[in-house]
Amino acid sequence: MLRMEIALFIVLAFVACVYFSAGRKNTPLHRTFSALLIVVLIHLALDGVTVYTVHHLETVPRFLNDAVHRLFLGSMVLVIYLFYQYIAILVEEETGKPRRLDWPARIFLAVAELGNVLRPISYTVTPEGNYSSGLYMLVPYWGVTFYLLLCAGLLAVNWKQIDRKKKLAIGAALLIEVTVSAMQWLNHTWLINGMGITLMTLSFYLTLENPDILRAELTEQKMSMLYLKSQVNPHFLYNTLDTIRIQAQLNGDKKVADLLMRLVDFFRLSVKVDRPMVSLDDELELLEAYMELMCYRYPELQCEYDIDPDLGGMKVPNFILQPIVENSLLHGLKNKGYRGEIRISARKAPDHRMEILVCDTGSGFAEGKKVAIDQMLLTYAKQAAKLTGNSIGILNVQKRIKLLCGREYGLSYTENPTGGVTAHLLLPMKEDMQ
Amino acid sequence: MKKLRVLLVDDEIMIREGFKRLFDWEAHDCEVVGEAADGMEALSRIDTLRPDIVIMDINIPIMNGLKVIQLSRMKHPNTAFVIVSGYDDFSYCREALRLQITDYILKPVNYEEFGTCIDNLKISLFEQRVSAAEEPEKQEERTITGITRYLQEHLAEEISLSVLAEQFHLNPQYISQLFKSEIGVNFLAYLTNIRMEKAKKLLLSTSLSIAEVAEQAGYGDYRVFTKVFKKSEGITPSQYRRDFLEETGADSF
Repeated sequence: MLRMEIALFIVLAFVACVYFSAGRKNTPLHRTFSALLIVVLIHLALDGVTVYTVHHLETVPRFLNDAVHRLFLGSMVLVIYLFYQYIAILVEEETGKPRRLDWPARIFLAVAELGNVLRPISYTVTPEGNYSSGLYMLVPYWGVTFYLLLCAGLLAVNWKQIDRKKKLAIGAALLIEVTVSAMQWLNHTWLINGMGITLMTLSFYLTLENPDILRAELTEQKMSMLYLKSQVNPHFLYNTLDTIRIQAQLNGDKKVADLLMRLVDFFRLSVKVDRPMVSLDDELELLEAYMELMCYRYPELQCEYDIDPDLGGMKVPNFILQPIVENSLLHGLKNKGYRGEIRISARKAPDHRMEILVCDTGSGFAEGKKVAIDQMLLTYAKQAAKLTGNSIGILNVQKRIKLLCGREYGLSYTENPTGGVTAHLLLPMKEDMQ
Repeated sequence: MKKLRVLLVDDEIMIREGFKRLFDWEAHDCEVVGEAADGMEALSRIDTLRPDIVIMDINIPIMNGLKVIQLSRMKHPNTAFVIVSGYDDFSYCREALRLQITDYILKPVNYEEFGTCIDNLKISLFEQRVSAAEEPEKQEERTITGITRYLQEHLAEEISLSVLAEQFHLNPQYISQLFKSEIGVNFLAYLTNIRMEKAKKLLLSTSLSIAEVAEQAGYGDYRVFTKVFKKSEGITPSQYRRDFLEETGADSF
């Protein structure tokens, strides 16, 4: 018989390892399950010990046998109490109704544990095997019955309000425990209590406390936080900025009014992200608003445009120029104290293609950086989608050009002979409607 | 030409102050006669003040701006409305276009460019007067009606004040003054306006290329046309066409 206890202990120890190593939210429900896992493990260990000692009544001292048996049954009541607690919290979360039976359940736990410790214990020896008996076990067994009835009652009363998957998990767990307990009641020598408790714990673990489910919940929570952050109503933002702009102009500060106007323009244009492709004119308008603000902040920064007028109506992927220019500013011109020039040019290339160049007079690539960037842009498909970091902007631009225009187009960098770098955007010359 | 009476409707006082003090109404022969901060107030002010032009925010308390326009239309068919909105949503645009003599501008309002909008309204009001009256009484009215009809028919050609002067046997300066006094805008603003109207009509109702549209609207160089169009409509001609087709769900040509 001892082999079963050892097997069950190993299985649950493994489950506990997986559960504790995975991330989870710190909620009463998960805390209760953590406590449950630990108590179940202790209970299973005691189970194994008692199975051994009860069959060696002659060699094991009587007081030791009594002690482990009392501890064993005591932990069993605690396990079932925690099961009840877990189910009660779950029902509360599902239905929103407060738990009213916590105090009776706790008082009952104390009475059961007290009875378990104080009542007399005896051992029955049979040819099929030995088992402990006596009045000491009466209280704990009534305790188990009491808690199981409470669980069944909770489940029955709130049946309709609980999520289908959850109530099936609880129902199945209860059914297993009741069946196993009944079998144990009828066959004293079977000593299968540990099995029922393990199966019940496993059923909860697999359906309700599965690390995958927990991780998904956690990710969902993080995502919704991000979502909320990005959900600051853009209309609030630019309506407020516009009011400030008008006030500035009424105060006679035309310069501040103009800057705010450009900032409003920039926000308004950059929230228009619903379209995958826009005209080059639209892209340039956004870029102009951005660059005008940057040039105001850094007066020694200059910006030149040289755009072939025929290309204004060409379709390009949305929001590809600003990240490139921002990259040039932050990694090139910033190192020179924002002194220098950015030149944006667009020209026709053979075979119905066009090339947009973003040329800066910044500090150029650091040692080895060019190779790293080239490599990253070349293996863009293998690069994980990053949410932060230095190269997120240009990697994102590369991915979108490849996706929207085709794999023969894309972004590359060259070093200028006079210093600084040039970003080359090779794009199809495509104008829709005509 | 008498001064046009203007009513400002916006729930934000700063926006109304901006319009009142940052745009040169005097120079455009207009005067601000009243303000309203919500839909109900707007309705009653329109009834009592009988403005020629209402500058109207869409998103205002109690009753939205489009509803106010709909209700006022029945009682005051000649009032012109300018919708000012932060929502650059085409569905609003489309509904606004259904309500006649309505122009649509987006926040943030550039007061330097707002004059074009007032000019457009004056031209719409003039055209409505022309089509309503059977036969103009005054000699000036007859002359300007004749000139504008000629312009509509010869849009694709090179037109200037001197061409008109030759055609109508009048002094160019006199024609220029006539535009200012009868319509309230200068000749060039009028010409640009009707060229843009023609272009918009062609963009939406035909599949002509941008260059062909430009030519029919009187622009030899379509790049100049695109620039003027963008300045007046806020978007490029191809964008204008695509926006409309996208919204109406029509297939692209």
